[in-house]
Amino acid sequence: MQDQATESTGSIRRSSTSSRTRKKKKNQLPAGFAVVILIVLVGLFLGTKNGMLALFWTFGCIFGFILQKARFCFTASLRDPCITGSTSVTRAVLIAFAITTIGFTAIKFGAFASGQAIPGQSYIMPISLATVVGGILFGIGMVIAGGCASGTLMRVGEGFTMQMLSLLFFVIGSLIGAGHMGWWTENFIAAAPRIFLPDVFGWAGAIALQLAIIGLLYVAADLYEKKKMGITE
Amino acid sequence: MSKEYTIDCLGEACPVPLMKVQKEMEKMEVGDVLVAQIDHSCAMKNIPEWARNQGHNVEIEEVDDGEWEIVIEKTK
Repeated sequence: MQDQATESTGSIRRSSTSSRTRKKKKNQLPAGFAVVILIVLVGLFLGTKNGMLALFWTFGCIFGFILQKARFCFTASLRDPCITGSTSVTRAVLIAFAITTIGFTAIKFGAFASGQAIPGQSYIMPISLATVVGGILFGIGMVIAGGCASGTLMRVGEGFTMQMLSLLFFVIGSLIGAGHMGWWTENFIAAAPRIFLPDVFGWAGAIALQLAIIGLLYVAADLYEKKKMGITE
Repeated sequence: MSKEYTIDCLGEACPVPLMKVQKEMEKMEVGDVLVAQIDHSCAMKNIPEWARNQGHNVEIEEVDDGEWEIVIEKTK
């Protein structure tokens, strides 16, 4: 399953080999094909009920697969620079941000240019000190839990038992949070300004500014890693 | 005479295995070997990446489905 694992050449001399007797590897291909067929069948079934459900199912499965294979981890992107000085995941996240910036601007500008309502405008959230406090709390939580929302889900799928516990309390916490959200919104959040960058800088200015900031962060992350780790890849 | 150390990180989520490895490596002398047993796929990425960047020799062995041993030889 792991490419790196097969590279092992045994050049490091070890006084003992693993004490455990190694199981013969089972061929996982039949199980893999079975899962793919099952995913397609469930997708077709959902499609008969509701087209959107089938779409969500498809994207969900694809996201999960990519997350697992890429070892893409939002937690690591912010944690590894502090622990090891490595910013490889940080830069991967920045590249993802840049791509989504271009993609979402295209979708929104496309709607704007053709005179339709711009989709997704209800997701422009008020920005205030609450955003900062929430971010810090979430950051503490995800480092202790060993993953953010997507990372935890992905590792539960891998069969990592400890994070099934994380998932359980993640669900409980989310429910409590959703229940109390109204009060917080009313008292702390609603009064803060909602900023849609194209309103302030124009469409070209907004995308240029956002990409410039992401680019600067990328360069900063690269320099930080070189300084912190000494040897570069 | 080089020594071999083993640390058990089974069941530990990221970043605990990496930090245990970093701590253990400080105690070791050049030529010593560390075997880290892990079962968190995330540690598969960040431990070898850190150790290789530090210039150590690293090998990964998959001992079982979803269980690995990362072998690190301290070189400096």
